[in-house]
Amino acid sequence: MFPINDHVDLLIEVLQRLDGRSLGAAACVCRQWCSIVRNDSLWEHLCFRQLSPPPSVGTRSVVLALGGYRRLYMVCVRPVVSRLKAGESEVVRRVWNQREMELTLSLFCVEYYERLLGGGGVVGGGESPAKSLKFLCQAVNVGL
Amino acid sequence: MKRDYQSQYYTVFTGASSSSTSAAGGSGVSDVRADVAGKSKMWVEGKQPEAGYDELLAGVGYEVKSSDMFDVAQKIEHLEGVLGNDDGLSQIASDSVHYNPSDLSSWLESMISELNPIVQQPVVIDDSFVNAADDLQAIAGNAIYPPEAKKQKTSPPSTAASSSTNPNAIVLVDSQENGIRLVHTLMACAEAVQKDEIQLAETLVKQAGILAASQAGAMRKVAAYFAEALARRIYRLYPSSQRDSPAFQDLLQMHFYETCPYLKFAHFTANQAILEAFSGKNKVHVIDFSMKQGMQWPALMQALALRPGGPPTFRLTGIGPPSGDNTDHLQEVGWKLAQLANTIHVEFEYRGYIAESLVDLEPAVLDLRDDEVVAVNSVFEMHQLLARPGAVEKVLSAVKDMKPEILTVVEQEANHNGPVFLERFTESLHYYSTLFDSLESSGGGGDGAVEGGGILPASAQDKIMSEVYLGKQICNVVACEGPDRVERHQTLTQWKTRFESGGFEAVHLGSNAYKQASMLLALFAGGDGYRVEENNGCLMLGWHTRPLITTSAWKIR
Repeated sequence: MFPINDHVDLLIEVLQRLDGRSLGAAACVCRQWCSIVRNDSLWEHLCFRQLSPPPSVGTRSVVLALGGYRRLYMVCVRPVVSRLKAGESEVVRRVWNQREMELTLSLFCVEYYERLLGGGGVVGGGESPAKSLKFLCQAVNVGL
Repeated sequence: MKRDYQSQYYTVFTGASSSSTSAAGGSGVSDVRADVAGKSKMWVEGKQPEAGYDELLAGVGYEVKSSDMFDVAQKIEHLEGVLGNDDGLSQIASDSVHYNPSDLSSWLESMISELNPIVQQPVVIDDSFVNAADDLQAIAGNAIYPPEAKKQKTSPPSTAASSSTNPNAIVLVDSQENGIRLVHTLMACAEAVQKDEIQLAETLVKQAGILAASQAGAMRKVAAYFAEALARRIYRLYPSSQRDSPAFQDLLQMHFYETCPYLKFAHFTANQAILEAFSGKNKVHVIDFSMKQGMQWPALMQALALRPGGPPTFRLTGIGPPSGDNTDHLQEVGWKLAQLANTIHVEFEYRGYIAESLVDLEPAVLDLRDDEVVAVNSVFEMHQLLARPGAVEKVLSAVKDMKPEILTVVEQEANHNGPVFLERFTESLHYYSTLFDSLESSGGGGDGAVEGGGILPASAQDKIMSEVYLGKQICNVVACEGPDRVERHQTLTQWKTRFESGGFEAVHLGSNAYKQASMLLALFAGGDGYRVEENNGCLMLGWHTRPLITTSAWKIR
């Protein structure tokens, strides 16, 4: 039996190829997997691995400042992708385009601002999105 | 069972009712009517009609006041409708208390209420509504705020004016004909108002209120708001000139922002135009005539933060009305935006200016700097200036003094400012019907089963608040006049003429804005109904075939 837990870099390679739901399930396997999955860079990979060309340099600092990639995925990317390709199966890996990414980031920023307006703390942020994004779908907390 | 007849008709009635108790089902009751009608010829002649009673009907034994004729005819129609729908007649026929049929009005009333025991939230209109003028629970009443106990359908109506002896408390059965009748009634009422035929208008507006309660969904709400606005106009109960506090208006607009895409569309398309105008510039300044909660600017700031070459220095000047209370609302919004700017590392400066009206704005006060590029933004503010002669021209000339690279304007796409009241009424009825229709779809619209999670509908409260937001506009268009009537919407063509004579020319919005807008709409439930259209370089968002909102951009010629 191959002890995958001793080869974290390999584990990460594998996890990088998963979709969001599977990542969530992976986080439930054990504590080590949970802490690896919590790493935001995995989610960055998930958000933008399909993006062609890859996002600009400043994107990471903006996303991290607004709440991080995992939140971006849960609150924006997942609902946007599922709405835009309603009808296709999720197995078909979709290539984002620049415009979709820009729109998603804008919505993410609006959501951050709305939480600011709401007066509640934005540190950590709740899992559920602020009201302006409720027109998308409610993020499903997959146990992270 | 108590039977309460006048003695001279007693013979007729016992004969009829005994036949009905032995008969089965619906035929029993119709026999009663047929019998009564058939035996009417046997009644004693020589009964002189009293003053005010219709002579012809009095001749055959029915007492009907001429002034009640219309009501009675309506009730007969409704009785027919109810008889046609009812299934439990046999039970009713044996238990019912029959009243004197010659008093046709109350006889019909009793028949209707017996045959249709399920009270469909009737709106009871009588003159006491006049006292409830400031309360939306007037004619709009149950149509907009259905009583909490929706499940208890037999509970009596909860409006203040529920005097149950009112013969006009007709219970209606929903039908499509009522919808058409409702529109005609509203139009007829508006026409009566136009011609200053107050009596007729009063009758019609009450009818409209009753008919509105029989409708469902968007039609019910729109009709109720229009009926209320007409009533205000008729009874001269204009909404108080002390308008709602800006905080409340902002709150309503926020709910509207969340429920449907119109405002988001407005912000995104205007931002795209501003972004393109700011391309390559290092110091930019946005002057916002419609600051409110500042919801438009986070997206622009984020786009500026990520643009190739890095963000410019971003200055924002927010114009808004005085807060009313002691808070400096404009400054608070500025603080939040500054926090956001700090988070995403955009150099940001903010100043707020309080002005009762845009006309009061002096460009000299704005601290315009030579090395800056200016954009002026106005969302739903321009049309309000049309209430004062000369105001638009003055503001446009002030804008020119600001030397903007671009002026972005978002306005409703409708002509609600014509000189003839009836035309304004008709136009706005169509416009707001379409708008309310689109709101309905946002509540649980779409097929719900989308991979990755369900489509969460706008919450009920958001929807209601959005409707109130629109309802206030309706009230202003229909009930107000002069400087109070600020919802003076105009079409793009009309605005084009104004802007061009003010020294501006159109800037085409471009395909990026169009594509982004289309994508945004695809994200909304009910997305199929929304349409983005390009019109002479401007973008229009509409519901099915009707454009509702237009974003346009202008520069100095």
